[in-house]
Amino acid sequence: MGPESGALLAVRGLTKVYPRRRGGRVEALRGVDLTVGRRRALALVGQSGSGKSTLARCVARLEEATSGEVWFEGVELLSRRGRALRPWRERLQLVLQDSATALDPRHDAAAIVREPLDALGRGTPAERRARAAELMEKVGLPAACAARRPRELSGGERQRLAIARALAVRPALLVLDEAFAGLDVSVQAQVARLLDDLRARDGLTYLHVSHDLALMAEVADDVAVLCEGRVVEAGPAQDVLRHPQHPHTRALVAAAASLPALAPQERAC
Amino acid sequence: MSRRAAGLASLVVLVSVHAAALAAGFLAPYDPAEQNRTMPFAPPTRVRLFEADGRFHGRPFVYALDEAAADGGRYEEDHTRACPVRLFVRGPSGGLRLFGVDDPARLFLLGTDGLGRDQLSRLLHGARTSLAAGLLATGVALGLGWLLGVAAGYYRGWVDAVVMRAVELFLALPWLYLLFGVRALLPLHVPPGRAFLMIVLVIGLVDWARPARVFRGLVLSARERGYVLAARGFGASDAFVIRRHIAPATCAVAATQAALLVPQYVLAEVTLSFLGLGIGEAAPSWGNMLSALQQYHVLVSYWWMWLPGLALVPVLLAWSALADAVAPPEEAAA
Amino acid sequence: MLLAVSALTFLLSEWAPGDFFDEMRLDPRLSDETVRALRERHGLDRPLPERYLRWLVSVLQGHLGFSFAYGQPAAALLWPRARNTLVLTASASALAWLAALPLGCAWARRRRGPLAAALGGGTAVLLAVPDVVVALALMVAALRTGWLPVGGMASLGHEEMTAAARLRDLAAHLALPALALALGMLPMLLRHVRTAVAGALDEPFVLAARAHGIPEWRILTRHALPAAANPLVSLFGLSLASLLSMSLLVEAVMGWPGLGPLLLEAILARDFHLVLASVLASTVFLLGGNLAADLLLVAVDPRIRAEGA
Repeated sequence: MGPESGALLAVRGLTKVYPRRRGGRVEALRGVDLTVGRRRALALVGQSGSGKSTLARCVARLEEATSGEVWFEGVELLSRRGRALRPWRERLQLVLQDSATALDPRHDAAAIVREPLDALGRGTPAERRARAAELMEKVGLPAACAARRPRELSGGERQRLAIARALAVRPALLVLDEAFAGLDVSVQAQVARLLDDLRARDGLTYLHVSHDLALMAEVADDVAVLCEGRVVEAGPAQDVLRHPQHPHTRALVAAAASLPALAPQERAC
Repeated sequence: MSRRAAGLASLVVLVSVHAAALAAGFLAPYDPAEQNRTMPFAPPTRVRLFEADGRFHGRPFVYALDEAAADGGRYEEDHTRACPVRLFVRGPSGGLRLFGVDDPARLFLLGTDGLGRDQLSRLLHGARTSLAAGLLATGVALGLGWLLGVAAGYYRGWVDAVVMRAVELFLALPWLYLLFGVRALLPLHVPPGRAFLMIVLVIGLVDWARPARVFRGLVLSARERGYVLAARGFGASDAFVIRRHIAPATCAVAATQAALLVPQYVLAEVTLSFLGLGIGEAAPSWGNMLSALQQYHVLVSYWWMWLPGLALVPVLLAWSALADAVAPPEEAAA
Repeated sequence: MLLAVSALTFLLSEWAPGDFFDEMRLDPRLSDETVRALRERHGLDRPLPERYLRWLVSVLQGHLGFSFAYGQPAAALLWPRARNTLVLTASASALAWLAALPLGCAWARRRRGPLAAALGGGTAVLLAVPDVVVALALMVAALRTGWLPVGGMASLGHEEMTAAARLRDLAAHLALPALALALGMLPMLLRHVRTAVAGALDEPFVLAARAHGIPEWRILTRHALPAAANPLVSLFGLSLASLLSMSLLVEAVMGWPGLGPLLLEAILARDFHLVLASVLASTVFLLGGNLAADLLLVAVDPRIRAEGA
């Protein structure tokens, strides 16, 4: 069993090194430790380039970590590959930020939600369609959206669609990479409420990845601050926001309070 | 003319040319291999409404050629024999033909070649060979290029390295030299049916590298899209991801590529057959029909022997207009 | 690179059914024993790797293998032919570029109007007329008018001529194939020159120069053309492959004794070493041309020069 049996996800000493073309190497992650309890929401906050997206991808096994351990539901994932990984893959879903490429522009909403079921061959085609409709209702997408393509949906609707697609395989953990980026404040609030509802109803656990400390303090229970591949501060969300200990965290708090354009340039680690 | 209108017009041209080629058996008045040894290089037959003495006929007719008077390539009409042009006649083997005339007259609308074969019939049947060769060769080149390009772009790593080395190798050779080089490896004298297949395969196999490179680039960017990552995230198989996301992303480019490649391959068949390395003499193709022009007296004396070459012009024009029309906007702007 | 090409083509040629001596066997005057002896003498009975090595050694010695049909090293046959192809392609290139540059500039300056329409239509049609037909049409014109000799590269009695007359004779024979080849290349070149120059003319510095009242031709030659030089030189490198392919065809149709007809003869005689040598020679041509284009690029583009320094 894993280090903390109570935790749903535990990351231990995760490192990721990218080789550079002309010799040299980039250390994106330098030994990250994280723990997310069941039904909790942890936010991993850092500036762009801090390695937070790399971590999300390594945990979701879309990239291979260089070393370290990822314990999920009491099982170490990094040592498993291919078929042995498959049952766990579904339990842990990545929701990407709404961008032009998160949803295939050539398929309509219903087909996008249905895609995981198609890929894994779950149920009859009729059952898949019914399940897709059910999922869209669950995330609050009107039935009229079913035949629309991503281009014809609003940013909030697209984000709901991405969440519905992730929910199709009944995951226990959602890794949300900048799930609120590019959305209006009111839409952010709607998506946050949806996530809260889903957590209450289905017992989901969230790992948020974001650059926005203030927003994360609202939606997450705990916050971990990532700087240049290391976690420099962690704790309950409101505590970190109100009493930042590490200089880098202070810079993030200051950035959140001021205009984005005036964000501090240097990273104090 | 807007790009759209040009594309539409070219589509009409191409559809009618291909339909004519398909219906060659019906449209052509004679069998393409049927020889009239006494009538080499006969000029196009004149279809008339008035007899030589001024009498009017309600139905178009032709005069038979006076074989006795035929001498050294000069042909005289035999004005005593007016043979009406009939529609929907039965050919010797019983097939229905659009039009024809009764014996002894011959209706050579576009003249005859050196063996007295009807040039129009050969042109129509030759279109079948040449156009089909272009289309099938495109299928081979695009199919192979797609498979290798997608494999290289999707799996990266050593597959990519091997495929791209091969691509560089193939692109380093001037393609006609390569085509001829590969053609050199195959037997010289083959029956037309096998020669056709051989030409299609040679052209397709020699030129897979260009489409492969295009597809690889496309897939390289497509596989980094969020929806592909998401699909891998819920455990979709490679085959599923390629079918659902990668293959549709290549469709538009495949269409453009096809419109660019088909005319080149039609020309390639014509070139090979023209130089005697393609489809043999018995079965007509536009290339081997043109090769008669390699004799100087044919070149300067009988304009109707040029027709296969002229027939290529609208076909090639239409394909290039179509390629312009189907190209994605950003490519057209470049 | 060349090694890989050679190994590939050599291997392929070994799979090919039949060889030169199989065709010979059809000749009733030669007994089976004679043919077998001949094959032995030329080492055709040896195992494949050994034959490849021997061939490679012959390539390295500069013989490029042995032509069975001609009974001499392939290189000896190849060099004069390669020289002729070089003469033809170089003069055709020069002709095509000399026509394409001024026409392309004119087209880029006036993008509407009768000249642009004529050039646009002309290139589209010329692009659609097969090179074979262009070459044949030129031959007919020459035969009808008698202005230019058709076929070959020298008249009878070439040997007795003075040097100047010889040169004139060569130029007359060269004119037709060079023209055919140049016409084949022209539409593609013209379109690219137009795009490149038009792009340069749209640059802000050209606008600034116009605002200063610098005359239009000076803008074109001093500002736009140098700015367009980079893509044009790249185009030169890229156009070489199609130039060589076209040249093969034009040479074969017009009887210019270059690499093309040699390759054709070799194919028809199943003279594989000669086929191989011709294909290799064309590759060397292409690589050499690309190298020249790269060097030229360094010469014309100050940015690349600075980077290299």
